[in-house]
Amino acid sequence: MKGKSFLEKIRSSLGKINTWRFFILFSAFVVIIGNPFVNYKWDINFIQGWFQSFGIGNLWIVSPLEGLETILTAKFLYTATIVGMVVPVLLAFLLGRVFCSWLCPIEFLSNLTDRVLGFLSKKLRYRKDLITLPRRIIWFVLITELLITLIIGYPMFVWWSPPGLVGREAMFYAFYKVITIEIVIVVAVLFFNLLTRRFFCRYFCPLGATLALIGKKRQLVIKYDKDKCINCKACDTKCPMGIKPSIGESQSVYCWNCAECVDTCPTKALSFTWNDDGIIKLKVHNSLTSMKNTDKLITTK
Amino acid sequence: MRKFTRREAIKVTLGSFLAGIFSSCDLSDLKNPKTMIKTPIKTNILRPPGAVPEEEFAKKCIRCGRCGEVCPYHCIKYFDVKSGGVFSGTPYINVMEVPCYLCMKCVYVCPTGALVPCDKDEVRMGVAVINREACVSWQQEKTGLMCKTCFNVCPFAGIAIKIDHDFRPYIVEEYCTGCGICAYSCIADQYPENNGKKAITIEPVKWKKIKKVKLEDIKKS
Ligand code: SF4
Ligand code: SF4
Ligand code: SF4
Ligand code: SF4
Ligand code: SF4
Repeated sequence: MKGKSFLEKIRSSLGKINTWRFFILFSAFVVIIGNPFVNYKWDINFIQGWFQSFGIGNLWIVSPLEGLETILTAKFLYTATIVGMVVPVLLAFLLGRVFCSWLCPIEFLSNLTDRVLGFLSKKLRYRKDLITLPRRIIWFVLITELLITLIIGYPMFVWWSPPGLVGREAMFYAFYKVITIEIVIVVAVLFFNLLTRRFFCRYFCPLGATLALIGKKRQLVIKYDKDKCINCKACDTKCPMGIKPSIGESQSVYCWNCAECVDTCPTKALSFTWNDDGIIKLKVHNSLTSMKNTDKLITTK
Repeated sequence: MRKFTRREAIKVTLGSFLAGIFSSCDLSDLKNPKTMIKTPIKTNILRPPGAVPEEEFAKKCIRCGRCGEVCPYHCIKYFDVKSGGVFSGTPYINVMEVPCYLCMKCVYVCPTGALVPCDKDEVRMGVAVINREACVSWQQEKTGLMCKTCFNVCPFAGIAIKIDHDFRPYIVEEYCTGCGICAYSCIADQYPENNGKKAITIEPVKWKKIKKVKLEDIKKS
């Protein structure tokens, strides 16, 4: 705060990936929340729906997990569903869980509350996680979710998915001037954020699990350069997902590519990198790049 | 005056936020848990046009709200958990509030095939049933009126609804789409003896092609 003018502060924040991420989250949120109102008031329905299925003109997007669920319960392949799933699946396949960290309205709200709390005190924004569970839980959640869906025969996630509910409540409010009781789920998710950052996203979001699974071998990863790391652990405290990039966990399947750690690292030991092969091969890869891929070496330096 | 500590300020804000959220939810018609898995589709509460049979519908519908957002008449509404149980988020049309005008926009945006693209005249959302006790034309001896409102408003007048030689309307069930325009416009509720009851109601029916509609399905309720 001291020694920096307002303009300088803005300039330095523009250089941060997370400023842009927040901007994109905000824009996505505005579209999701604002569209029903536009729709209701002026009957402009070029865009319809929210993150269960989103229609922009003739481009249809269907969320992979919800699409899978209806296919499983209806036992019927519908071309529009499959085609709609292509874009998100491709996105997750190449970039990992970027839907979660760059588009999801729940992440926007969590990020916003984090920012508001951070305004009160820095400690609150990057607070310690009070509850930590084994990260593997998310796979059990996904499996349980699909099993329950199969057993009771109704797709489950489509009606309690928090990101979907945000859009639905906006729509309910725009069209019928009511908020439904399901909003409790959204509130609960945000409430658990106070105990552990992104508690729901980390351990209990089946959609996040699906996207993580699809993006297991993703092309966009956070690369950790051991030689540059001065072991300050700044990245570990900043990571909203409770991942420790300082011990090379950033390329694990649980990282959602938010780049909080990249922004934080004082020595630029962490960077967004295209086309890496995962933690296990990192060391081999490093030695290989120095021989083969010289231009990549330049970018990491 | 005592100054608020930061912790208190957070508590108060959070508390009032939660209170606001909860008090804005209307719980008055919360469903009995046992009925949460029973379909809320009933007389005058119908699925949008092109809907697959009710047993299939909630399995296919992804609850994306796109059908309701394109409907120019805003006739599609959605159940929530308190009125629809596991059917929450699925669309319905209450023909007494706004009937469907068969513009056929909604069926073309459904991403999952819960609403199947079809033509206007293939729609079978339900079937109109005339209560002859309440219809002013059927009671013309008593009322002295010969109302033809339902006939006039029906998009398939003369096909789905016909008028007999005494100017009394009757429904041709094979061709009725169940759009509910007739029920919505019926004037019988204005007639004092009917206590605000309409003479036409729309009973739900499975969506099928015209030829395959079985009258037993229609008449069972
Ligand atoms: S490791 Fe970095 S990019 Fe991955 S979730 Fe944590 S902060 Fe975000
Ligand atoms: S056919 Fe048209 S009027 Fe009827 S429900 Fe669909 S969009 Fe609305
Ligand atoms: S468009 Fe189809 S899937 Fe979406 S809410 Fe309507 S019926 Fe359900
Ligand atoms: S009889 Fe009524 S419900 Fe049937 S098509 Fe005509 S207006 Fe619609
Ligand atoms: S509009 Fe109602 S009262 Fe009039 S003829 Fe039709 S059913 Fe009878």
